[in-house]
Amino acid sequence: MVTDPWPDTDLLLTVEDLTVEFPTDDGIVQAVRGVSYELRRGEVLGIVGESGSGKSVSSLAVMGLLPKTARISGSAKLQGRELLGLSDAELSKVRGNKIAMIFQDPLTSLSPVYTIGYQLAEAVLAHRDVPKEKAWDRAVELLDIVGIPNPEQRANSYPHELSGGMRQRVVIAIAMANDPDVIIADEPTTALDVTVQAQVMEALNSARQETGAAMILITHDLGVVAGTVDRVCVMYAGKLVETGAVDQVFYGPRMPYTLGLLGSLPRLDATRSHRLTPIVGTPPSLVNLPSGCPFSPRCPIVQPICIQEEPELFSVGVDGQLAACHFHERLIGAQPVDLFPPTTIDEELVASYEDAGQDDAAPEETT
Amino acid sequence: MLVYVLRRLLVTIPVLIAATFFTFVLVDASGDPLQELRFAVPPVPEETIQARAEQLYLDRPTIERYWLWLTGVGNSRGDIGILQGKWGPSTQGAMDIGQEISERFLITLRLVAAATLFALGLAVVTGVISAVKQYSLTDNVLTFFGFLGLAMPTFWLAALVKEAGIWANQNLGTNFATLGATSPLYYRMEGWEAFMDVVLHLVLPTLTLMLTGYAAISRYQRASMLEVLNSDYIRLARAKGLRNRVVMRRHALRTALIPVVTLAALTVSAALTGAVITETVFRWRGLGTFLTQSIAQYDAFAVMAFLVISGVLVVGANLIADLLYGVLDPRIRYD
Repeated sequence: MVTDPWPDTDLLLTVEDLTVEFPTDDGIVQAVRGVSYELRRGEVLGIVGESGSGKSVSSLAVMGLLPKTARISGSAKLQGRELLGLSDAELSKVRGNKIAMIFQDPLTSLSPVYTIGYQLAEAVLAHRDVPKEKAWDRAVELLDIVGIPNPEQRANSYPHELSGGMRQRVVIAIAMANDPDVIIADEPTTALDVTVQAQVMEALNSARQETGAAMILITHDLGVVAGTVDRVCVMYAGKLVETGAVDQVFYGPRMPYTLGLLGSLPRLDATRSHRLTPIVGTPPSLVNLPSGCPFSPRCPIVQPICIQEEPELFSVGVDGQLAACHFHERLIGAQPVDLFPPTTIDEELVASYEDAGQDDAAPEETT
Repeated sequence: MLVYVLRRLLVTIPVLIAATFFTFVLVDASGDPLQELRFAVPPVPEETIQARAEQLYLDRPTIERYWLWLTGVGNSRGDIGILQGKWGPSTQGAMDIGQEISERFLITLRLVAAATLFALGLAVVTGVISAVKQYSLTDNVLTFFGFLGLAMPTFWLAALVKEAGIWANQNLGTNFATLGATSPLYYRMEGWEAFMDVVLHLVLPTLTLMLTGYAAISRYQRASMLEVLNSDYIRLARAKGLRNRVVMRRHALRTALIPVVTLAALTVSAALTGAVITETVFRWRGLGTFLTQSIAQYDAFAVMAFLVISGVLVVGANLIADLLYGVLDPRIRYD
């Protein structure tokens, strides 16, 4: 249980009221709408949410890796130093040095025309004034740490000669290269086979132990979150809708969306009669958000106030758990089945999808 | 590697044979090289015509003539057979095809090489600028001229460039030559004077030929660079903390050049085609005008000579491009 054992001086990353907008031909895409979170030394923070909820964009904004068209406001401080608004040259001294990032797709994350040893040594040389041979030795050492066999030989391999899991380990090794304080892992296991995922998570853990870095783990895989993170942020439509210690949020969610997410997770320990409870509908368009709470069109306990007024994050528990729901008190002790209809009769479910204006969403049998 | 090169060269042999055979049949069917003699006034004696026909091997069937042209086996005069290094007799008076084409080849090579080099260099630079500054004013202007270049037929572009050159000569005091590959008095010039003469004659035709090739490559370079810039490994290179300049040069440009190498080889053949038109407009005594003249004179062996030279050039350029491809991209290995 994480109950804020660290004093505030241990604050590594403070993101406050971060907003990211993309002007497009169809209008302004509000990708991130006022997100705040903190990352402390040694901590693992999970950010979960479905595609398009703004979880990747918010961390790319911190790294300064968004396209120039993005309009970013708010604040992101690394150990008290503001990152937003820094020039690209200044940011490049922070990137890969203080904050490192791991991306989703290992198959495309490495340059096809350089050896992995070169790409690793390059990361070392970007921030350290050491001879090239030293950088190469460090590259081999890093490959060894993330569990790549025969690192001396493998360093001379090109990415296309390695499997997806191996390549993701190389990417993790690159992130470790300069002992960063913060590692942001953006869906590090999503593109990989289930069997390889565990190995990559292991490599990620050894990277964390080796560097002592705090980590932000962005994922939509709640299973990965449960086993790894200390605190979790749930994002929906560009906002945090619930945050708190992982046990708090998983066992006592106080926002219907979190409850719905947990209810749609298949469980190994469930009985055969246990049914999943899908959330009907799709996330709202980020160009044209509904008034009030963005989850209101899909929410089973929606009330008139939800459409009029967007709830702020209310403090709902002891351990700093926050939830953005007007009716968070009603959710104490609630189970997913209390709110969401399970997939009992498929015809009924299909009909309810059609009522919600989703003609093509035919759910699969999920027992 | 050597095996690969040999295999590639072996594959080109049937291609060259098929290309020369069909061209030979077509040129042969296009008209009678002796019609001028036949309808001459006053009439030429029948024996003279017969003798000329025999000299040109016109008394034999088409297939046999092609065979003769290819191997030279089956005659006693010993002036034909490309595999023996003999180009065959020409219908254009006493012209020696071999000597004529080697002189003209150097002249055309000058034009094609200059145009290809400038087109490639300019196209890579503007393509990259366009991609890095996508949708900026610079990009839009470059895109506009790119499409303009793609859309313009070479003969019209050549005429416009020529007009522009003349206008510049009259109004800006420049001294571009608009006719010929060199001045009539070139044979008397030496050193710097001769060099400047060649350069001034090169400017306008090179510009014409360059613009046609440039447009396509720059569009291609832009697309290739954009694809690379939006790739994950560029994002990772930036996430590593590499300076923007290093990311652009070492990671983006290096990779974005690979597909353009293939296009560069195609540019050589496109430039040869363009040279035919450009040389005609600027009255160059090069391979292009050699081809058009030979076609007009139903000179089958001369047309074949052009085909062999350009065929070897194109095959060579493509082979070099493919080998270069293997050097630039480690995913490609020839073994």
